[in-house]
Amino acid sequence: MCGILAVLGVAEVSLAKRSRIIELSRRLRHRGPDWSGLHCHEDCYLAHQRLAIIDPTSGDQPLYNEDKTVVVTVNGEIYNHEELKAKLKTHEFQTGSDCEVIAHLYEEYGEEFVDMLDGMFSFVLLDTRDKSFIAARDAIGICPLYMGWGLDGSVWFSSEMKALSDDCERFITFPPGHLYSSKTGGLRRWYNPPWFSETVPSTPYNALFLREMFEKAVIKRLMTDVPFGVLLSGGLDSSLVASVASRHLNETKVDRQWGNKLHTFCIGLKGSPDLKAAREVADYLSTVHHEFHFTVQEGIDALEEVIYHIETYDVTTIRASTPMFLMSRKIKSLGVKMVISGEGSDEIFGGYLYFHKAPNKKEFHEETCRKIKALHLYDCLRANKATSAWGVEARVPFLDKSFISVAMDIDPEWKMIKRDLGRIEKWVIRNAFDDDERPYLPKHILYRQKEQFSDGVGYSWIDGLKDHASQHVSDSMMMNAGFVYPENTPTTKEGYYYRMIFEKFFPKPAARSTVPGGPSVACSTAKAVEWDASWSKNLDPSGRAALGVHDAAYEDTAGKTPASADPVSDKGLRPAIGESLGTPVASATAV
Amino acid sequence: MCGILAVLGCSDWSQAKRARILACSRRLKHRGPDWSGLYQHEGNFLAQQRLAVVSPLSGDQPLFNEDRTVVVVANGEIYNHKNVRKQFTGTHNFSTGSDCEVIIPLYEKYGENFVDMLDGVFAFVLYDTRDRTYVAARDAIGVNPLYIGWGSDGSVWIASEMKALNEDCVRFEIFPPGHLYSSAGGGFRRWYTPHWFQEQVPRMPYQPLVLREAFEKAVIKRLMTDVPFGVLLSGGLDSSLVASVTKRHLVETEAAEKFGTELHSFVVGLEGSPDLKAAREVADYLGTIHHEFHFTVQDGIDAIEEVIYHDETYDVTTIRASTPMFLMARKIKSLGVKMVLSGEGSDELLGGYLYFHFAPNKEEFHRETCRKVKALHQYDCLRANKATSAWGLEVRVPFLDKEFINVAMGMDPEWKMYDKNLGRIEKWVMRKAFDDDEHPYLPKHILYRQKEQFSDGVGYNWIDGLKSFTEQQVTDEMMNNAAQMFPYNTPVNKEAYYYRMIFERLFPQDSARETVPWGPSIACSTPAAIEWVEQWKASNDPSGRFISSHDSAATDHTGGKPAVANGGGHGAANGTVNGKDVAVAIAV
Repeated sequence: MCGILAVLGVAEVSLAKRSRIIELSRRLRHRGPDWSGLHCHEDCYLAHQRLAIIDPTSGDQPLYNEDKTVVVTVNGEIYNHEELKAKLKTHEFQTGSDCEVIAHLYEEYGEEFVDMLDGMFSFVLLDTRDKSFIAARDAIGICPLYMGWGLDGSVWFSSEMKALSDDCERFITFPPGHLYSSKTGGLRRWYNPPWFSETVPSTPYNALFLREMFEKAVIKRLMTDVPFGVLLSGGLDSSLVASVASRHLNETKVDRQWGNKLHTFCIGLKGSPDLKAAREVADYLSTVHHEFHFTVQEGIDALEEVIYHIETYDVTTIRASTPMFLMSRKIKSLGVKMVISGEGSDEIFGGYLYFHKAPNKKEFHEETCRKIKALHLYDCLRANKATSAWGVEARVPFLDKSFISVAMDIDPEWKMIKRDLGRIEKWVIRNAFDDDERPYLPKHILYRQKEQFSDGVGYSWIDGLKDHASQHVSDSMMMNAGFVYPENTPTTKEGYYYRMIFEKFFPKPAARSTVPGGPSVACSTAKAVEWDASWSKNLDPSGRAALGVHDAAYEDTAGKTPASADPVSDKGLRPAIGESLGTPVASATAV
Repeated sequence: MCGILAVLGCSDWSQAKRARILACSRRLKHRGPDWSGLYQHEGNFLAQQRLAVVSPLSGDQPLFNEDRTVVVVANGEIYNHKNVRKQFTGTHNFSTGSDCEVIIPLYEKYGENFVDMLDGVFAFVLYDTRDRTYVAARDAIGVNPLYIGWGSDGSVWIASEMKALNEDCVRFEIFPPGHLYSSAGGGFRRWYTPHWFQEQVPRMPYQPLVLREAFEKAVIKRLMTDVPFGVLLSGGLDSSLVASVTKRHLVETEAAEKFGTELHSFVVGLEGSPDLKAAREVADYLGTIHHEFHFTVQDGIDAIEEVIYHDETYDVTTIRASTPMFLMARKIKSLGVKMVLSGEGSDELLGGYLYFHFAPNKEEFHRETCRKVKALHQYDCLRANKATSAWGLEVRVPFLDKEFINVAMGMDPEWKMYDKNLGRIEKWVMRKAFDDDEHPYLPKHILYRQKEQFSDGVGYNWIDGLKSFTEQQVTDEMMNNAAQMFPYNTPVNKEAYYYRMIFERLFPQDSARETVPWGPSIACSTPAAIEWVEQWKASNDPSGRFISSHDSAATDHTGGKPAVANGGGHGAANGTVNGKDVAVAIAV
C-alpha cells in the first residue's frame, strides 16, 4: 500500500501551496512510511508516500515514462506487470516497480489500457503534453480512493479522506472499476464483467476449475521482495489461503531472511476459540505461527485511532477493524510488510448466515452481486485501512479478477445452502479443495462451521464496547440523536459514540456521506432484510439477531440424515448456534 | 528507543483525562511503533510507545514487579541486564525478557540509589503504588531525551519528547542528564558523579591498548539485539572505527546467529559528494553490505518542517545536520532495520573539532571537552536520537559508553592536544590506539586521513541551498524586527529566522523556546571557547568556514613534516575547514 495525493488545476501556484500539499500528503505517511515524492508541473501536483514491497530501493515515485512527459502516482500492485512489459518492448523502463507499466501502457493505448491491468490499484496519471489527467480505481475497490473539488476549481484525488477533507468543498468515494478523465470531464466504468448485470448465470459448478483459479490467485500474490505472512483466523477462507500459500511457497522468490517457512498471524482475546482454531490449522500446515492477544481495554483505547484511520462510523466495521488494527501493529513490528488475507469469500459464495433465508437462486445471486459491489465500503475498506495504518499491505486472493469471473459465473443453485444434500454455506469452495490424495486441510477443518464462543471470552469484546458506549452516551443524547445527526442517525449508544468521534475528525457533510447507511442485520444489505419480516424489527448488525435460523436448522435436521457422523441432537443445535453466535466475534477478531 | 509519558498526581481521574493522555502519548508513536500501553493507578498514568529491539515479543510495557505494586515505563537499553538478572536468581521472578525489567528488583532492593548500577542509556519513570511515590531518571550523558513539566492542577509530567507535554503543562524544561527526580525527595539530585565532572585536569598517561580495549567493549556491548541492525558510515574516523570493530566482533554475537554475519553499512549524501566516496572505500575494505542513499536539496528543504517538529529545536547547526540523517533514517527503516550504531561523541571527548587547534593550554582544552560532553544532550545526542526515532529507528553510540568516557576523560589532555611537531593531528590518541600493523582495523591512509575537501558545487550545495531558500522566505523587514519578534535567543540571520518561525508555530510556549541552548558559537564551540580568538566574537556564522586555521596550517606544513602523505598542505588544511563544516551537516 502506498498513499497518493494529486491536486490538479490549482489557482495559486506557490511555495506555500507546495508546503500545504506536502503537509496534506504527510497525513498518508502511515500508508507509505518508506519514502515520499512530490512532482509539480505548472498547476498540478502529484504526491506520494511509498511502501516498498517490489524493488524496494529503486521503485520510488512518482513514476515516469522515458522523457518524463507522463507522470503517475500509484497505490497498488500490478500482478501481470511482467507480461505487460513484454508487450512494451519499445519502451525503456527506469525502475523495477510493477506499477511503472501504467505510464508506458498509457502512451501506447491511451485511456483504454486500464482493463489490461490485473491487480489492485488506485492511480492518477498526468500527461504534461496536453495537461490532461486520468484517475482510476481497481475493479472491486480494494485500494481506497477519494475524489474532491476545491473552491478554486482544483480537482483532488487521495487514497484517504484525511488528505483532502480540509481543503475540498465537496468530495466523494471514487467508485471502483471506474476511471475519471479530464478530457471527458467525468467518470466512466472501465470494468464491465458479465456478472455486473446481475443476470443469473447458468454455468455448472466445476470443482477442479474453481480450485485451480483460486490457487493461481494466491500464487500471483506471492510476488514480493519483502517478508510476508498470512492472516489466519482458523476459519475456512484464511485456512485455504494459508494452505495454498504454504504449498506453493517454494516456487516463489521470497526474502531469504524469512526462509521457506510460511508465517501465520492470529489475534484474539486470550483463550478465544479463534486462537485455538488457528493454532490447529497452523500445526497441520507447519507454519511459523504468531498468536497475538489483546484486551478489551486495549481495544477501547484504540477506538479513536481506528475511526481516524478507517474513516468510518459504521458499527460492524469498527468492531472488526479494531483487533485487525492492533494485530497489524504487531505484525509490522516483526518486520513484515505484506500479508495475505481471506476477505471476499463470504460475499462471492453467500457465506453469511442470513443467506440461508434466500428464497430462490435469483435472489441469492443478486445479493452476492450487491455485496461485492459494496465491498469497497465495508471489508475492503476495513482490511486496507486497518493494515495500512501501520504500513502493512493486505492482499486478497478471493478478490482476484479472474477468480471472481469464474466464481460469479457459477449457477447459484450450487451455492445455496441445502442441508438435505449436505451443503453448508460455501460448499462449492469446500468441496473444490476436498482432496483425499493430497489434502489441503483435514476434513473436520474443511467442513467445520464456526465454533461456539463461550460468553465470557468471545463476547467480551462486543459486550465491552457496548458497556463503554453506554457510559459515554446518555439517554438524553440518544433522544436527540435524530436532530444532532439527521443523516444516518445512530440507533444505538454504540453507534452514537462512534459517530461523535467521527464527526470530530471529519466534520464535513461530504465526509459523513461516504459512510453507507440503511438497515442491516448480520452483514446483509438493506434489500436482504426483506427476506425475513422479523429482522426488520431487530436491527442489530451482529449475527445474534439471526438466531431464528437455528430453529429452522434444527427442524430441518430432525428428519434427515446429517452430512457428518455427528449425533443428530448435537448437529442440530451446535452448528446452528455456532453459526449465529460465531460470526460477529470472528468478524470482530480476524477474518 | 521508546516513547514514554508519565503523568503523576492528576486531580482529575476521568475517562476524558485518560483519553487526553492517550492522545498525548500517541505523539510519541514514531519512537515506538511496535506497541502501546497505558497504566493507571488513581490519578497517576504511565504510558508507553514501544520499539521492540530486545525480546520483541515479550517485552511490552509497562513493566511490573511480581505483585504489581511497582510499575515502570522505560526508554532505553540496559547493557548489563544479564549480569543484574543473575544477582536476583531465586529472589525475583522476571516476567519478560526485557532488559529494562532489571530496574524493578534493583529499586526494590536498593531504593533510589540503584541508578548508578545501570550500564546503558535510559530514561525511565518508576511508580511505587505502595506509598504513591515515583522516581524518574535519565542516563549519564542524556543519550535518551527526557522532559519534565508541571500542570496547573499540580500534576507532574515526564515525557520523552516535548510534544507530548507542551500543551498541558504550564511550565516544562529539559530533564537534566545524570539526574534523578524523586517525589519523596521533592526534587532533582545528581546520581552520576564521575571524577571528570569536576573538570580538574587529569594526569593519567595515555595508554593506547587500554583505550582500544575500552572502545571495543563499548561496541560489543551494543551488539545486543534481537532485530536486524547496521552501522552509520560516513567514511570519517569515528564511524569507520565503529564499523571496523563491529565487523570484527560480529561473529561472536547472538545477532549473527539470527541475522547472519554480514554487516550492513549506511551513508547519505548529495549525489557525488565525497562522503559517499569515502564511505564506499571503507565499506569495501571491511567487506560490509553497503547502502548508499542520495538526497537532493529539494528533498531536504521539503523535510525541514518535519525535522524541526521531530528534533524540537531551532538551532541552525542541529537542523542542518539532522535533515540528511532524518532522510537516511527513513530509508534504513524501510529496509527492515531497527537499530544502528553511530559515531557521535568522539569529537567532544577527544577535542576533534577544528577550533580546538586554538586551545591555549591543556587546562582550557580539557575544560572545553568537559563542557562539550555535558552539553551533548542538547546537541548531537538530541539530533542523533530524534532524527532516527522519527522513524522508529534506534541509534546506539559506543563513544558515549559510561566506561569508555571514564577512560577517555581520565587521560592527561596533553596527549589530546594537536602537536604538529610530534605528528599529532586531531583525535590522535584514538587513531594511534587502533594503529595495528598485525591486524589492521583500517588502512593507514584512512586511519590518519583528515576530511577530504568538498568541491564547492556538490558538498556546499546543501548549506548553500538552505541559505538561498531561506533568503527567499525571510524579508529584510522581518530581519529588522527580529529582536522584537523573538527577544529570547534572537535569530541573527535569515536562515535562523526561518527555522525559528517554524519552531514557534509548532511549539509556541515560552518553556519550549527556552529548551534550545543559545549563545555565541563557532564551528560547534561552546560560548566559552569563543574567548580563545578575538576575531571569532565578531562572527555570527556557526559553521566552520570562518576559521582561518588553513593559513596557519599551511605555514606549519611548510615548516615541518606532515603527519600524513597528503599532497598540498593548503589543500589538506582547506579540506579540514570545509570538510568539518559539511561533514557536520551531512552525517557524522
